[in-house]
Amino acid sequence: MATRTRPDGGSGGLKDSPPVDFTQAVGRRQPRPTVAWLAQVVSGVLLLVLMTVHMVAQHFVVEGGLRTYQDVVAWIRNPVVFAIEALLLLTVTWHGLAGVHAVLLDLGLRGRAERVVARVMRGLAVVTVVYGLWLLATIASRG
Amino acid sequence: MTGKGLRAAGGRHPSRWLDPRGRHLGTWAFVLNRLTGLGLVAYLYLHLIVLSTLLRGPDAWDGLVAVFRRPVFLALDVLLVLGLAVHGLNGLRVALVGSGLLVDRHKALLVAAGILVGLVGLVAAVRTFV
Repeated sequence: MATRTRPDGGSGGLKDSPPVDFTQAVGRRQPRPTVAWLAQVVSGVLLLVLMTVHMVAQHFVVEGGLRTYQDVVAWIRNPVVFAIEALLLLTVTWHGLAGVHAVLLDLGLRGRAERVVARVMRGLAVVTVVYGLWLLATIASRG
Repeated sequence: MTGKGLRAAGGRHPSRWLDPRGRHLGTWAFVLNRLTGLGLVAYLYLHLIVLSTLLRGPDAWDGLVAVFRRPVFLALDVLLVLGLAVHGLNGLRVALVGSGLLVDRHKALLVAAGILVGLVGLVAAVRTFV
């Protein structure tokens, strides 16, 4: 997880990120985006697609809004569904924890505390993705 | 880091996020994006905990599904969809404007995002309750 970034556009004292209030950007030269800003934008756009697919396929088209145990297992066993859910997990974890990290930076987190938080965020991201993938694989193996 | 520590570090305390003084519409949209984002991260972990019930077998999961089909939980589902729509569509606006695209149309984008959020919420409510 990148540090010293403002993926969702806050200032937080970082010189090369877009401003907090985008109305301030009108008529001004745009700041140069950071790699993490672009990563947050790309993951956000990807999430718009993946989350729409997830909500429609998992809830909106299902009778009663939730699948029964057998239906969940059969659904996850589909390789395409498994791949989409795994990609969703990876993307949402990245986007979410990078966002939390950005909020903490915006609140003034600096120096050693920032490095510790960045490490904690990276660790949490790894644990979340590993656990989520294990959960998906375990459910899929029960069919 | 504590709120005191954050203030000492020169940051803005979360209690000031909702301070209306001297705020522009874009700032409110930004604060809303932050709050919905933090809420959605919390929901992500709640969702993983709930999904872990699948490990306990059909009886545990199907019992939980029966609970989640109660009106209060269905209303929370609609709230979740609204939160996703607010964060996603306003986030798309932030991404466009922050990338230098449609900067002079940022207010129109905000209105469009608001209308779309309303429509998504309406569809979700109708689909859930009707």
